[in-house]
Amino acid sequence: MTEVQDSVFDADIHAKAKEIISRYPQSRSALLPMLHLVQSVQGHVSQEGIAFCGKHLDLTDAEVSAVATFYTMYKRKPCGEHLLSVCTNTLCAAMGGDAIYRKLQEHLGAEGKPLGHEATAGTPGEPGSITLEHAECLAACDLAPVLQVNYEFYDNQTEQSAVELVDALQRGEKPAPTRGAPLTDLKSAELQLAGFFPEDAERFAADVDGPSAATETLRGAALAQERGWVAPPMREENA
Amino acid sequence: MTMAPEETETEVPEGHVKLIVDGEEVIAPKGELLIRTAERLGTVIPRFCDHPLLDPAGACRQCLVEVEMGGRPMPKPQASCTMTVADGMVVKTQRTSPVADKAQQGVMELLLINHPLDCPVCDKGGECPLQNQAMAHGRASSRFVDTKRTFPKPLPISSQVLLDRERCVLCQRCTRFSAQIAGDPFIELLERGVHQQVGTAETAAVFSGTPAPEPSDMASKTSSGAPFQSYFSGNTIQICPVGALTSAAYRFRSRPFDLVSSPSVCEHCSSGCAERTDFRRGKVMRRLAGDDPDVNEEWICDKGRFAFRYAAASDRIRKPLVRDAKTGELVETSWTEALRVAADALSKARDARGAAVLTGGRLTVEDAYAYSKFARIALRTNDIDFRARAHSAEELDFLAGVVGTTPDHVSFAAIERAPTVLCVAIEPEDEAPIVFLRLRKAALKHSTKVVHVGQWTTSSVRKTNGELLACEPGGEAAALDGIAQHAKDLDAGLAEAGAVILLGERAAEVVGLFSAVQRLAERTGAKVAWIPRRAGERGALEAGAAPTLLPGGAAVSDADARAALESAWRLDAGVLPSSPGRDTTGILWAAATGDLDALVVGGIDPDDLPDPALARKALAAAGFVLSMEMRPSAVTEHADVVLPIATVDEKSGRFLNWEGRPRPFTVTLEGTNALPDCRVLDTLAVEMDADLFTQTPQASFADFERAVSAGRSVVRETNGSGTAEHSRPHAGESNGNGKLKLATWRQLIDEGSLQAGEPHLAGTARTAVVRLSAATARDHGIEPGEHATVSTERGELTLPAEIADLPDGVVWVPARSPVSIRTALGVGHGGAVSLSGGTA
Repeated sequence: MTEVQDSVFDADIHAKAKEIISRYPQSRSALLPMLHLVQSVQGHVSQEGIAFCGKHLDLTDAEVSAVATFYTMYKRKPCGEHLLSVCTNTLCAAMGGDAIYRKLQEHLGAEGKPLGHEATAGTPGEPGSITLEHAECLAACDLAPVLQVNYEFYDNQTEQSAVELVDALQRGEKPAPTRGAPLTDLKSAELQLAGFFPEDAERFAADVDGPSAATETLRGAALAQERGWVAPPMREENA
Repeated sequence: MTMAPEETETEVPEGHVKLIVDGEEVIAPKGELLIRTAERLGTVIPRFCDHPLLDPAGACRQCLVEVEMGGRPMPKPQASCTMTVADGMVVKTQRTSPVADKAQQGVMELLLINHPLDCPVCDKGGECPLQNQAMAHGRASSRFVDTKRTFPKPLPISSQVLLDRERCVLCQRCTRFSAQIAGDPFIELLERGVHQQVGTAETAAVFSGTPAPEPSDMASKTSSGAPFQSYFSGNTIQICPVGALTSAAYRFRSRPFDLVSSPSVCEHCSSGCAERTDFRRGKVMRRLAGDDPDVNEEWICDKGRFAFRYAAASDRIRKPLVRDAKTGELVETSWTEALRVAADALSKARDARGAAVLTGGRLTVEDAYAYSKFARIALRTNDIDFRARAHSAEELDFLAGVVGTTPDHVSFAAIERAPTVLCVAIEPEDEAPIVFLRLRKAALKHSTKVVHVGQWTTSSVRKTNGELLACEPGGEAAALDGIAQHAKDLDAGLAEAGAVILLGERAAEVVGLFSAVQRLAERTGAKVAWIPRRAGERGALEAGAAPTLLPGGAAVSDADARAALESAWRLDAGVLPSSPGRDTTGILWAAATGDLDALVVGGIDPDDLPDPALARKALAAAGFVLSMEMRPSAVTEHADVVLPIATVDEKSGRFLNWEGRPRPFTVTLEGTNALPDCRVLDTLAVEMDADLFTQTPQASFADFERAVSAGRSVVRETNGSGTAEHSRPHAGESNGNGKLKLATWRQLIDEGSLQAGEPHLAGTARTAVVRLSAATARDHGIEPGEHATVSTERGELTLPAEIADLPDGVVWVPARSPVSIRTALGVGHGGAVSLSGGTA
């Protein structure tokens, strides 16, 4: 096969694609991380990105499109520097997630029009631009309402704190997430989702690793330990 | 009742299970799907996604039944199209289970929620599984009162398949067919949840910030931006159980209940697919795949489905034409007059330097036989050849051994069961698409090893999980001879019982290939099947429309066979010509140089012939040319008499497919007054004082059978004279003087004359490109995507260049897309050409 070369994806990305493919016994298994790789370059999955994956994995554009349109983490329009996901699933919604989302829509909207789902405030790709989305359960009900920037958690939010966070992001600041790794930008996060991490151990610890467990998450376990609660023993089959 | 019947345990055969369906005890083979078991009992469970030739999917949920296993009812109704039978299972379908019935009604109601219920304007209305099953298993009315989901419509999936998404029930038959059967996943299920829809990459709303393309631009494309071509996409229209996929050519043209359906046989390739031709008021509206498990299963290629408009073309020749001596124009005349003129001229030619017959490769057995007998009796010559393509004397010797073989030798089923299939000088997807589907099925379902002797990894190689045994064009014979040494596993594979070698028409262009194939077959025991490209070739061979063979395959030089045939034909002893005739090129050469006075020409396009220039010269030089044609062709301009003949829709007859399987068909369009070739020849022969007894296809076939059985009664001389002439391709054929070797074959959808008048089909033709290796391109300064010019001293051809894994120094060009490579370059497969960078 001849070398796939085009203007959007440089040699480094092609090399990374091959590295991803080499992780799997069957090349088509590499499609999900490949689509993240594509997003790390363009901030979304473009038609060129679909073709890039198809060529590398010997899939048709239709097959790649089927996968790319199924998963909500693959964005089909250019995204901002940051992706802001507000959880509006049941618990977060009840705890104020809906209100936060509404507030941010208005706050980020222009000319009196609230910002829509997966719409971007500012010019996509420019510093300070933010794409807003409402998300399904982010698996942090104990810290509700939560929101994520580039998939990093900001817990126990209020309308006020969310607006402050957004303002800071627009100023070009990167406020530290409540837990986990420090905030970067969407494209960097996408590269990590594609499975590429800093090789240097210290940088890995600083950029990727981070304490992800919160006190709230462990509160139940601590209480049980404190009071000596244990699960009932498994019943014997023939007892 | 006096005695209670004794409780007898029904014997359960090995590999079977016993279960109860609707209270009835059934023995079913292990692995059978419940929906089929019920079907065998006469209970039709409604279904959409289920298709016997596709893998189970359980996508539509319409076939829910109640199932009990080991005395425990399963908690929810189960999809009977994905669940297999098990011992002791108790199944209740909608017939006996109110639960199943209600579940089916519920699913139907859900499937119809977003369905537009536009049956009165839908192509499928009247033959629609959704419509029928909604009537049989649905509720009378819907409880859904909200606005239905709508989509812009229709989306062109390709130039011939249109998609109305709001009618779709997401059964995935089309996507599964494309991926599994055809190997062309050009449509897929996109989006999720309520937005889920079938579409192409272009409809997937993945647009780089650019506005959505025009609907006309949404046809599926490949990564390189070229339209995604599938030769089989028409099947998705036929298996769509709703009106979501419709044919651009048929859309809004007629209603199923206005159509008359007639079983028919495809005239396009040598597979002889069963088809159904639907017509209305004397006009064919569409063709569908027939169901013939032995041949095409339930699939046909798009050419067979869509290429039928030529028969209704406005330029059809309906009346005999005779060239006016004064004006030099062809003028319409009566049959009597035309036949008289033709008979006089042919008689005169016969008694002078002779007349010869070129039949073309598209005849039924009956028509080919009439030509064969006409040549021998009326023209008293063996100068007859059905091969309107590259051919060789070596091929003729080989074909003598092909005559009389039946599906017992090699069949579609044998291909499917074969442990190893070696494809030699054939590109199955282009040249025998249904053979390709069987090869793919064999590879996927039975792990058949498919090896292609060719020049590059074509889609046929990829989609049959095949291996490429690469060689230079013309080097195929050497490649086969090298198998014993260089491909020991293939050699061992071919020695296994059931191994098959498939040989295509291109073999005639490679010196020594037939003998190499025979050597390989004899050494390994593999069976050889000859798969010509055209539908009539095998039948014409059997009918003796060849210069060295009599009907039934005996050699014309065999005195006993001739004597037997003379007695069967009630002729005086010794009147049949005994010397082998000239082949196609020989005939043309003789006509061009004045050695022949007249030509009788069937359906032939000079551009298909090995040397189109010679053919044109011969047609111009021949004193008299009789053309038997449906439509004006390149022969017409040279013809002195043109006799119109019937299309397959207008006559009965039979093709003999490559297996040697008779494929009979009856008249579809009655009362057109169009005459089959055999009838025209019979009458013409009478004018020449010869009796063919081929007035009707029935009479012709009866006479053919008499001739063949007469031939069988004599011991056949050994075929194959093996003269020195066989060691080189036919004289008169240029081999070019370039430095590179040319590989070429015809793509399925190209400029062939039977594809005329069908722009939707033409829109799915593969793009014509020059293929070459990266190194060859570099050496000639050609960048991928640029144009390349292939040339000989005869002419040149410029097409976009595409890099493929060809051997260095080899270029591939399609043989008739967009022009005849023979006409443009004067060379064929294996010819020598030059290459340069060209401009668009």
